[in-house]
Amino acid sequence: MDATRRHYWRLEAALAALILLLAILSLMIGPAGLSPKAALGGLFNGDGPAGIIVRDIRLPRTLLALLIGGTLGLSGAALQGLLRNPLAEPALFGAPQAAAAASSFMIAFSVAGATSLAVPLAGIAGALVSIGGLVAVAGRRASLTVTLLAGLALASFAGAVTALILNLAPNPFAALEIAFWLLGSLEDRSTDHLLIAAPFFVVSWLLLAMNARAFRALTLGEDAAASLGVDLDRLRMTVVIGVAVGVGAAVAVAGSIGFVGLIAPHLVRRAVGSDPARVLLPGALAGAALLTAADITVRLLPAADELRVGVVTALIGVPFFLAMIFSERRQLEGAPS
Amino acid sequence: MQRAADLSVSLAGNVIVDGISLDLATGQLTVLIGPNGAGKTTLMRALAGLLPVTGRLELQGRALQEFSARERAQRIAYLPQGHVFHWPMSVAAVVALGRHPHADAFAPLSDADRAAVAHAIAATAIEPWAARIVTTLSGGERARVALARALATQAPILLADEPTMSLDPRHQLVVMELLAGAAHDGGAVLAIVHDLALAARFSDRVVMMERGRLVADGGAREVLTPERIAAVFAVEAAIADSAVGPIPILRRPL
Repeated sequence: MDATRRHYWRLEAALAALILLLAILSLMIGPAGLSPKAALGGLFNGDGPAGIIVRDIRLPRTLLALLIGGTLGLSGAALQGLLRNPLAEPALFGAPQAAAAASSFMIAFSVAGATSLAVPLAGIAGALVSIGGLVAVAGRRASLTVTLLAGLALASFAGAVTALILNLAPNPFAALEIAFWLLGSLEDRSTDHLLIAAPFFVVSWLLLAMNARAFRALTLGEDAAASLGVDLDRLRMTVVIGVAVGVGAAVAVAGSIGFVGLIAPHLVRRAVGSDPARVLLPGALAGAALLTAADITVRLLPAADELRVGVVTALIGVPFFLAMIFSERRQLEGAPS
Repeated sequence: MQRAADLSVSLAGNVIVDGISLDLATGQLTVLIGPNGAGKTTLMRALAGLLPVTGRLELQGRALQEFSARERAQRIAYLPQGHVFHWPMSVAAVVALGRHPHADAFAPLSDADRAAVAHAIAATAIEPWAARIVTTLSGGERARVALARALATQAPILLADEPTMSLDPRHQLVVMELLAGAAHDGGAVLAIVHDLALAARFSDRVVMMERGRLVADGGAREVLTPERIAAVFAVEAAIADSAVGPIPILRRPL
């Protein structure tokens, strides 16, 4: 017991160190390369061009990568705990798709550009509307099946709305802007974006983390968990809302970023085991590290236009995920649903 | 200890449990028997507080609904059918889940929790696999881990749905002895069992259900008669007197 606990905290420390390293790299790397000394000097003193670059451009971008990656990782781990299924991921309940649709609408039909603050605000509102719809359709005593079906329907509907907006976009530039925005990017995001999204992230973390023990009890199935005192209705409600609020805010400021929520919990399960309560924190840290690393990668790749980080997470994430499934095939086949 | 009065449960418009009154007494192992579809599992889930019911359910003299989920969970341990484990966790971690109703959120296990877990692991003789991953165990081994998890709660009431399922003969006896022991140590134990010989041998009381209703309630000798076994189970049976008491011998389906 104590050995596994030591092992667990050693992993947390290693992930925290990795995140710190990636954060410093993220402050250094960009069109104007900075040395570690110049980057940290700019961060702490704010002097000269380095200060402006680091404080106004790279710091918000880095913090957003960390917070969004962490939120996606935590959401994935929580949903996998709730559904007792390692394939669950944050897009299941339709909130990210709804956020994308609302933000697309704002880009297409308002004077606002893709980086204006009206876009994330609309996205968060879209996510909240979709959660409201989900709760209204599924009802308070919703079974998981009903909630999942309703979420799937809302996700498809939001996808159709996004397609309609692209279809009706007033001019090709707006359509192109939406298309690029949907790919997911952290480019040119400001401190204002950070401040808009951060409260939603914090609410999401609290709602998800408070259910850690319930996820663990659910390994015995819903009846046994309920007999142990877990309030299943409240659990489902808080997790659906927590995921929707956090992931909705993430999509609202950065567009769609896939696969982090699915992969991060898988990565850490290899090290900390499958106890769903113990996967939450390392899952969040791994998500933060993954997205920050992906965002550094897009800045390092030589390309005429910067690659979108959402493209990179999917391009790297999918083959990696397939390789992981391949190597764990036997174990996955043996595990009950 | 726990009392149900005129308890009915409807699922999807069908009456599954129909006006059952039952009193689970401290110090008794009550065995619930009945053919498939008689409503045994539904009755047990209702007693565990997991289903909306009509009629009255009392726990220690108070209405069950007056207890918080946590208070209820501290008093009623429920072992569902099937012994499900979704995640490949260690056996020790699974048994420790039995302490869920006692632990505070975010607090590690207390000394009392650890003692209860160790006691449950020792009682079910699963120490050799305590560090193993539960999903790698055989069906019989899982059944004992599931029982250990329920025992670890140390609740005064234990509801066990087919605890001997998929166990070999020796471990069926071990589990029935454990349940009888839990009852004689001051618990109220209700177990659903399909093997009438096990029911006759280990029960202090046998409750027989058919189509949602209680059709017999009493000692094994009174309840398990050839006539009743024929009427309820559609099986021709004889009762043999043995060194361990009367044992139903099943001859052929009717």
